[in-house]
Amino acid sequence: MILLWLLIVPLVTSPLAFVLRKRHFMEAVNLAAFAVLLCLAAALGVRVLRSGPVSVWDGFFYADALSALVVLLSAFVALVCSIYAVGYFRHDESNGVFQEGEELGGGPAINKLREYYALTPLFVFSMILVALANNLGILWVAIEGTTLASVFLVMFYGRETSLEAAWKYAIIGGVGLSMALFGTILTYYSAHQALGTDTLAGLNWSVLVGNASQFDKPTMRLAFILILLGYGTKAGIAPMHTWKPDAYSEAPVPGAAMLAAGVLNCALYGLVRFYILSSKCLGPEFASHLLILFGLLSMGVAVPFILVQKNFRRMLAYSSIDHSGIMVLALGFGGPLGILGMLLHMTFHSITKPLLFFCAGNVQQQLKTDLFREAKGGLIHSMPLTGAAFLMVTLAVTGAPPFSLFLSEFTILRAGFSRGYLVLAVLFITFLVAIFSGFLIHIANLVLGPNPGLPPSETCRWKKSSVVGLALVIIIMGFWIPAPLFRLIQGAVDIVTNGR
Amino acid sequence: MTFLQDPEFGDRIITLMAALVLVLQIAAVGQRWLVSSIRIFAAQSFLLAAIAGIIAYFNHASHIYVAAFLTLFLKAGLLPWLLERLVRRIEIRREIEPLINAPLSILIAGCLTLVGYVVAQSFYHPEETSVRAALGHNTLAVAIALFLIGFFTMLNRRKALTQVLGLLSLENGLFLAAISLTYGMPLVVELGIFFDVLVAVMVLGILVFRIREAFDSMDVSKLRKLRE
Repeated sequence: MILLWLLIVPLVTSPLAFVLRKRHFMEAVNLAAFAVLLCLAAALGVRVLRSGPVSVWDGFFYADALSALVVLLSAFVALVCSIYAVGYFRHDESNGVFQEGEELGGGPAINKLREYYALTPLFVFSMILVALANNLGILWVAIEGTTLASVFLVMFYGRETSLEAAWKYAIIGGVGLSMALFGTILTYYSAHQALGTDTLAGLNWSVLVGNASQFDKPTMRLAFILILLGYGTKAGIAPMHTWKPDAYSEAPVPGAAMLAAGVLNCALYGLVRFYILSSKCLGPEFASHLLILFGLLSMGVAVPFILVQKNFRRMLAYSSIDHSGIMVLALGFGGPLGILGMLLHMTFHSITKPLLFFCAGNVQQQLKTDLFREAKGGLIHSMPLTGAAFLMVTLAVTGAPPFSLFLSEFTILRAGFSRGYLVLAVLFITFLVAIFSGFLIHIANLVLGPNPGLPPSETCRWKKSSVVGLALVIIIMGFWIPAPLFRLIQGAVDIVTNGR
Repeated sequence: MTFLQDPEFGDRIITLMAALVLVLQIAAVGQRWLVSSIRIFAAQSFLLAAIAGIIAYFNHASHIYVAAFLTLFLKAGLLPWLLERLVRRIEIRREIEPLINAPLSILIAGCLTLVGYVVAQSFYHPEETSVRAALGHNTLAVAIALFLIGFFTMLNRRKALTQVLGLLSLENGLFLAAISLTYGMPLVVELGIFFDVLVAVMVLGILVFRIREAFDSMDVSKLRKLRE
């Protein structure tokens, strides 16, 4: 039953927010729904830990430790983003951002807010469905659903550049996902002869994983390549990453944070499910080599763009390309250690990334620019809280100790060395160091550089509380991972390495 | 009427129709009028629905009838109607000059068909003498060709709406692949895919409309402000 509730809550919230026309109600409904969702996700995690996989409707929805982890992360990201969204959109509204949009045909402010607060729950619904769908076809439908629900978030402000970004996002995403669908069809075909069934269960992951060794091998090989290209497009790994900087810099900040921290996990989750099937059918080497290639390529592509970046919101997108590259690389290294590194990285990344977006959003709203050149510097004086948090989260996101991403990146590095990928591991460190220095130079200049003489201005308390709260979580997670969460991650590692 | 029970006959009909689908796809590559492109897509979807219906009939697989009906209703009826309405509203009839001219495009489409056959060959196991395997072979080649040509159309055309049509014909290729390989996906999945296609066309339609309003053009090569 808990699986159904996880889906019903966001699904009901969407029309509810649409019907309630008052801003306060819409905000309250969104906040309450995502708070409930997080509790349900935690309850699901506890249940999976206690009594193993949960399923309803003859296994139509199915949750093991891996799904429970992704659900938990999605719900967490949704909640923090919705808290930040309250302050963010109030600031937008009082600054008349929507009035500018109105001239471009954006509609009055309350309609824009309605659009955001009604679409976000649908977006979250698709993300949860991705993790809970047992059927690989439904998994595809749900991932396509996340694209469709978020296209309007990307074109939210109705500027020419937002339309351009939304077009790229929809078309590149559409083509990518059609490849993933082809991969899904071929997986079904390769399993078809082994299972000899025409029923719905023939595409259920929990059924497929037990018989994966009998699949038709050439077909499965082609299927995995298509899946990697397809879901890789959605995760934004190079060379299919080109939509990312545009979409992330045009979408409203809370929406962009959900794309970066939520959808990324969902796409990688899809990839991991097929990785398990492919390594059971073809042995781990075939998938590993491809994953390592694309992972390192993504990290390498991100490096120059971060080093010379002029726009701090686009820089966040390249950081996201870098991180999805790291996770794909970790999956490619494989073995219990590599998988552990990947899932730890996914967890810590989902917790850390939203704060980076929030800080960038605060700066952009206050200074009305997203260029380093125009923002100049001295944020520590003009916006002390945001400035300090920005610097801290920059260190955290680039994997500096004592923050938790250091732990996961170190684990991945150990996996690389222990599996004998010496050259690749050295390359991995080189990219990490380059990205660290690029990020730190830019953000340190922005925060600590000479103050152009702006008076100290404080942001509203919704924005402040989400920044402070999330910063506290990040600091605590640097020193202490809750034991149940770690056990959930270990359970997920077992699923990926042993298939159950 | 014994030939109606003969699977060999069904196989031939399906191969013939798949060939027609391919011809239509290549015709779409050379087409410059938007409305004609939309109608070619509608005709192609109609043939796909017919293929699905025939496969359902000869293999007594009733769930394919649902997919056939949905294809007929959505892809041959509703979507072309919506797209034609959009064309009328934005008052653009002709595609601007594609990046590669028509004769060369058609030549490329022909080459992509060959590629489709080569790829499909690897799925063909002649030792399995069932109708199913034979049936898979030709139609799968057409399906892969449709996929590749749709991809090529999206790269070659600069009008937003033609790119949407390219995406849709790409999806047609996937549908053909699914029914020729495995008699379609499970019904629930098929329904989900149809739903997604419908929503995608609506979302893209709204986007095309907004782009047309903001840029006074549907030429996506004008979308070039976001650069590094």
